[in-house]
Amino acid sequence: MNPEELDLISRDEAPILDTMRRIYSAVPVHHLAAIHGKIVGALAVADAIVDALPLIHGPVGCAFQRKLNPFNLSSTFYDTPCTNLNNVDVVYGAEEKLCRGIVEAYERYSPRLIIVITTCTTDLIGDDVEAVVEKAREMVDCSVVYSTGDFVGRSRPVGIQDALYAVADQMICREDVERNEGSVNLINSPTQRNALKFQEVARLLTKMEIKINKICFDHTTTEDMMDLARADLNITGYRMPWAELMRDKMNVDCCKITGWDRYNKEKDPELISPYGIGGSCRVLKEIGRIMGREGEAEPVIKKNRTAAEARLEAASKELQGVKVAVPVGFSLNLLKDIGVDVAALIYRTQTLSHGLTERAVREIERANLSLAELYGFHPELLVNPTPDKELKTFKKRQVDLVMAPAKIAHFYNREGIRTVDVSDFTQTKLNVGFLPSIELCRVFREALGKVRVRSPLLDLMEFDGGISNLTPHWARTALSFHHLRSKNFRDGSYYNFQGLAGVELNEHNI
Amino acid sequence: MSTIYDPLFDCKMVGALRAMHGISDCISIIHGRNGCHCGALLLQTLGSEQNSVRVLTSGLKASDEVYSGEERLSSAIRLADQIFGPKAIAVLNCSAPVIMGEDVEGLELFLEDETQSELIAMDAGGPEGPAWLGYEEALTKLVPRMRPNEGKPREGINLLGFKADDFCSRGDLKEMKRILRDQNLPLNSVLSGSSFEEVKQAPRAELNVLLGGDGLDCARAMEEEFDIPYISVPYPYGLKNSVQFVEMIGGALGMEADPEVLETETEGVKEIVERAHMFFQGIYSTPVAVIGESGRAFDLAEFLSLELGMDVKLLAISSRNFATGEKMTAKDAHYQKLMIEPDRWDMNRALEASGAALIFGSSFEKRIASKLQASLLRVSYPVIDEISLSDLPFAGFSGIAHLCEKIINSILTRNKDEVKA
Repeated sequence: MNPEELDLISRDEAPILDTMRRIYSAVPVHHLAAIHGKIVGALAVADAIVDALPLIHGPVGCAFQRKLNPFNLSSTFYDTPCTNLNNVDVVYGAEEKLCRGIVEAYERYSPRLIIVITTCTTDLIGDDVEAVVEKAREMVDCSVVYSTGDFVGRSRPVGIQDALYAVADQMICREDVERNEGSVNLINSPTQRNALKFQEVARLLTKMEIKINKICFDHTTTEDMMDLARADLNITGYRMPWAELMRDKMNVDCCKITGWDRYNKEKDPELISPYGIGGSCRVLKEIGRIMGREGEAEPVIKKNRTAAEARLEAASKELQGVKVAVPVGFSLNLLKDIGVDVAALIYRTQTLSHGLTERAVREIERANLSLAELYGFHPELLVNPTPDKELKTFKKRQVDLVMAPAKIAHFYNREGIRTVDVSDFTQTKLNVGFLPSIELCRVFREALGKVRVRSPLLDLMEFDGGISNLTPHWARTALSFHHLRSKNFRDGSYYNFQGLAGVELNEHNI
Repeated sequence: MSTIYDPLFDCKMVGALRAMHGISDCISIIHGRNGCHCGALLLQTLGSEQNSVRVLTSGLKASDEVYSGEERLSSAIRLADQIFGPKAIAVLNCSAPVIMGEDVEGLELFLEDETQSELIAMDAGGPEGPAWLGYEEALTKLVPRMRPNEGKPREGINLLGFKADDFCSRGDLKEMKRILRDQNLPLNSVLSGSSFEEVKQAPRAELNVLLGGDGLDCARAMEEEFDIPYISVPYPYGLKNSVQFVEMIGGALGMEADPEVLETETEGVKEIVERAHMFFQGIYSTPVAVIGESGRAFDLAEFLSLELGMDVKLLAISSRNFATGEKMTAKDAHYQKLMIEPDRWDMNRALEASGAALIFGSSFEKRIASKLQASLLRVSYPVIDEISLSDLPFAGFSGIAHLCEKIINSILTRNKDEVKA
């Protein structure tokens, strides 16, 4: 299928949508002062499949309160029917209720897929949800799957990964699938739902004579999910156990574009990022190799790379040598492409320590420094700096631009340092391909044209010295949260760590 | 009756949290899994008091469900006491630990000499009941903490059933205080919208006043314990309810409301109507729907119907209270159709059938309002997509102008070209 026929531009990208995303960015959820539970993740999956319905097997609170969608606070989950458990159900079990609930949900909402989501209550009382779902499938004319949060171990975000695994295991993986030979699925997170991001890569793959079977998630239907099984390859952004399951059960190979596994084998930091001109060429070649299209891939990559480099040269002229301060985690490849000079690298490790070992945290630091050296950057590394330390360094290194989200921009602007917010770029543009580097030039050029010094009203209030995007009260709340969830919760004093200011929600830190 | 239910109300824990969070120097610990804490925290954070969110987690993990989470909870209590120095710590025991049989009340006794803060623990598991029962029970839990008046003359009133996280509640409370002050009716404590010390001093009042019937359990307990009588007054939406608010309280205290003050207030309202009288004429007979908690929505519907002349096609009570039954059977109902705690699915069908041009509801009605091309006025809990910083009230005499300008503007500002049948 030609990507132009895929109706890729299905979302209205009005500027207000970016603002709606940004306005909630300072709310400290996602491991800062709270973590949403598995139900919300599973709801995000149900919400991403347009004709699916979640059915929460639990009491009313699990259905009402979970309407709040921490992945997208401007948009609540709308239909969240539940089995309305009470104390009697807790004592006698609620299997019958669930079975009736599935049938009623089908009759009322006519979905193509019902995703049963269990809750603390039903997990503890030990309802045999699997048996109930199996029985109910006979009674409805739609697919029914269930997600308990137990299918994927510690793969994060658990609710999303588990629900997708449930969909793959209980619905997608099946016999007698008519294959769409030579095709791939392009898969992003169900919380993003922006197929527009895949437009370029889809076009490039098509030119490499690789067919696009499905792009999800964006207006994805249950049938689209079923059709995922027809492809030869799933291309995912990060590790997805459900894609691995499809590889094992359906022989649909999987290719994870982020490259920490490859880096671990070869210790080549250029293998980490799939983005920018270098990263994209590598990923496209790899896909070509997996699909047996190396010959077709080579000229397509070469031609598009040459064209992009010519455009980049013009687009990046005024960015040459501009000194920037960048958080560790953003692709240095892209910064090399646009010609800026990385003068400072800010490494905030606190939320990483929740999911990564200390060794992994240090390895990320090493890899980024090696990559910086490779690209001829000589940045000063600031690990969990205090705001004062940051400013001193930026002034000493004559930093022109700090890469910082809107929520902390005021802190730099009052000191006369411009900021560039790449959140929208990473949300809506960043992907494998040659165009993101050109788009990033525009984002940086625009940032350089903005007012240098401002007197934000936000400066009237006090922010915490360590966690500079939070007030002292919220910083204490965040620190308490981390302490109480840690293994050292018995200790009298809680962790004294600093600086969560630049932490952004992305697939790698949730 | 359906097995499945898409609720308009929350669980017991959130009701209890709403009561406890209204106490300005109380911190709440959610003893439950991540999701319960995250939801509770967000409900408080997405409003207009972001500098005063006091919700912690005990950090309960799956492994604690096997080995008990009481030790983790003890750590959370000690930490809250040391780091935040609150006057009270509310421990809300959620579904999982309730089923596990965690003894939070025992823990309260165990730790009471160790902490500077007073501990108030209660079971608030989801299967145990709805939010309004949690709210009632939490307020009642405060009664044993109150100090008897010991011979001093009683003075003033307590307001019960106030909810600090209701939209525009800060403005509402200010306005109610103003109205009472103008009538020489001193306000003693607000449950819950006071400091913990003020709550403890609630028995100093000579009368408990229930807003819209909320807080009845607590009022009964205070009557039994401290011999304080109580009355239930309408939530003062509009002119009639505001006058009634004043007259009922005054009457219960053996005082007559100052007619001059009431006349001045009425004159003020008249002036408001005169300034935009053509639009007031225009909204007369507009079909509307009201969705909200029992303690507010009946009175709002009455104001819209009685004083603005709107046709309340549907009144959906999202969460009941002890007074709901009585209100349901009241004569001269100001609505055409009444639904009590309906399933959202059924309510949406009723909304579609109602032909309402305006919906008075919560943020969760956003999508149905959009689907029906109706204007949504956010007045009911929870409002998580609009803020209120100007402290303009919805309640009282001053609230009339604010409510009416919101109503009229919600129609005037619509882009007609975007509204399709």
